[in-house]
Amino acid sequence: MRRVGIVGAGLIGTWHAARWKQLPVELAGFYDTAPEMAAEAVAEFGGRAFDGLDDLLSAVDMVDVCSPTPHHRMPVLAAAAAGKDIVCEKPLARCLDEAKEMVAACQAAGVRLFVAQVVRFFRQFSQAKAVLDSGALGQPGFIRAVRGGAPPDPGHRTWFADFEQSGGVIMDVSIHDLDYAHWCFGDVERVFARGLTFAGVEPYDHVLITLRFRNGAIGHVEGSWAYPPGRFHTRFEIAGDQGLLEFDDMVPAPLTVTLRSESDGSPQAPGIPRPHSPLASHDDPYFLELAHFLNCLESGDAFLVSPQDGLEAVRLALAAIESIRIGRPVYLDEFEGSVV
Amino acid sequence: MNVRIGMLSFAHMHAYSYAACLKQIADGSSFGVDLVGIADDDPVRGQEAASQFDTRFFPSVEALLEEKLDGIVICAENARHRPLTELAAPRVPHILCEKPIATTLADAQAMIDVCAAHGTRLQIAFPVRFSPPVQRLKAILDEGTLGRIYSVKTTNHGRMPGGWFVDQALAGGGAVLDHTVHVIDLLRWFWNTEITEVYAEVGHSLLHPGLGIDDAGLLSFKLGIGAYGTLDSSWSRPESYPTWGDVRLEVLGERGIARVDAFNQNLGLYSDQTGKGQWVHWGSNADLSLIRDFVDMIATGREPFITGYDGLKALEVALAAYRSAERGEPVSLPLAMGAETAPLHPSERAIPMAPLQEEDCTGAGGGEA
Repeated sequence: MRRVGIVGAGLIGTWHAARWKQLPVELAGFYDTAPEMAAEAVAEFGGRAFDGLDDLLSAVDMVDVCSPTPHHRMPVLAAAAAGKDIVCEKPLARCLDEAKEMVAACQAAGVRLFVAQVVRFFRQFSQAKAVLDSGALGQPGFIRAVRGGAPPDPGHRTWFADFEQSGGVIMDVSIHDLDYAHWCFGDVERVFARGLTFAGVEPYDHVLITLRFRNGAIGHVEGSWAYPPGRFHTRFEIAGDQGLLEFDDMVPAPLTVTLRSESDGSPQAPGIPRPHSPLASHDDPYFLELAHFLNCLESGDAFLVSPQDGLEAVRLALAAIESIRIGRPVYLDEFEGSVV
Repeated sequence: MNVRIGMLSFAHMHAYSYAACLKQIADGSSFGVDLVGIADDDPVRGQEAASQFDTRFFPSVEALLEEKLDGIVICAENARHRPLTELAAPRVPHILCEKPIATTLADAQAMIDVCAAHGTRLQIAFPVRFSPPVQRLKAILDEGTLGRIYSVKTTNHGRMPGGWFVDQALAGGGAVLDHTVHVIDLLRWFWNTEITEVYAEVGHSLLHPGLGIDDAGLLSFKLGIGAYGTLDSSWSRPESYPTWGDVRLEVLGERGIARVDAFNQNLGLYSDQTGKGQWVHWGSNADLSLIRDFVDMIATGREPFITGYDGLKALEVALAAYRSAERGEPVSLPLAMGAETAPLHPSERAIPMAPLQEEDCTGAGGGEA
């Protein structure tokens, strides 16, 4: 049975750990620069808390990099040098040079690199891609996507609010939809964006991105850390010359519970509907992406997200940031990453 | 060793979804499954299905039953569930039978008895129990979040399926029989209770003039837990409706309300190629979980999650609804065995044998099939 080690025992690291536990792998344990985080994760999911990255690498066959964005490069390069196959959380890296270096190192070392662009594994998104591929929409022409909510909890995840580390809402949130749009419509020719990224309103951030694809199609991506508190919102539509496909998670959920008064032990406020949209555990997107990674290692098949796709998502996000900075469209074939 | 499954009849369109689920399980999970073959009294339909699902067609039921099967899936017309179960029970240790279990209580009891006599496990196909929104509601109810339950307002709407579904002799009833049993099964399961009284209004050829069978029904019932409720079991969704129908449940309790629209995880698709709006379900495929559960039961040797008795008790409520509508008054349950109403509107139609294209009640196959 393959052994997997998780680098970074934060939120995503523990989400992944819960899914690894459902797969035929041995969860060897965690490494985190904060040892108490690794110890907490071990208490919940088992395995060992490793003292260093090298200790982890010597005890595993696969590495799952779930550390904050600026700390993807180092463990990926070390894992590649150690000959371990790699899952790397999105975004692949904070800047393009690092992303290229990571992809090249994995290729040179002959290890497999899977960038966890998980939205491709959400059933509403994968089903929509299947409908698009079926031709029911005709020739694709327009994609719109929204992903947003309130700023990340400042008490727990301060690095998100630091643009230098996270790349803001574009790099952390909109990169999902940039990757999805790229998957659906192909290469992007130019990006134009406006947003709050440099407006000095931290921790709030917001962006409206305009895309033009090489095939002539148009895209619009909204990302937000500026909405009021409440439900995180996702929405998309894909229009072609023969049809339209829509998804909106704000439509009535398949299950809502509304309580008259505080019931025992329930955190739910009276009168506020609580929506649920449950799936069978085998349809959970994080389970699906890690199962996919494992299946591809077994079969030798290509990943649904190639290392180049992961790199391209970073490039699109950086191009959007650059466009906000300079106030002009950024052409992808000329864009090799900005300094911001 | 792989679990060996056969399928008896593709008269009910859910057979196509179940076969696809068996293939999906065989293609990639911890269960090993062989779809050994298909028998069907319509050889054209059976051969086409065998070719579609890459398995063998058996010209006789008996020949398929001699294949040392671990389990058999029966998707024949409702009235044929009993004779096929009686053939299979002595030879196959696990049976998954499409709902409703039968068209009379006597037939249902005979199926339960013959399986018991041979130690064969009989499971009824109520896939809505496997819908994740419904399972979440069950968990919320088990936690007591809503407190004492006052009422349950429910619907199981669908499209008029046509074919043998509107033939009284083969189907045993129309919309009320077809669409009462799913939701009644859920309510019995939620609270481990029974329906104690039913009043029903039934419409014949109401929404489909000249149909010759009931196509609309509204049941008003009492539950053993002291709550009351209604169930709209009508074939009231027109062809232009964007999906096959719905399962909706509103549970009102002393502390609040829970609303389920079990199949409302959809993409809206508007394609000029079909000329109408459609909903594309992206939620989990309940049929797949049903079939996994059946295979798991065989592999682990446990008792069925949904028994023949569950099938009989759901059938009984539908039959009581017909009796209530005939008499114009509430009917108490349980009914006396063998006393259920005779067919109300015997059909004069010939028995249609063509395979049906439309899905009916549960939206099975709307998922990844």
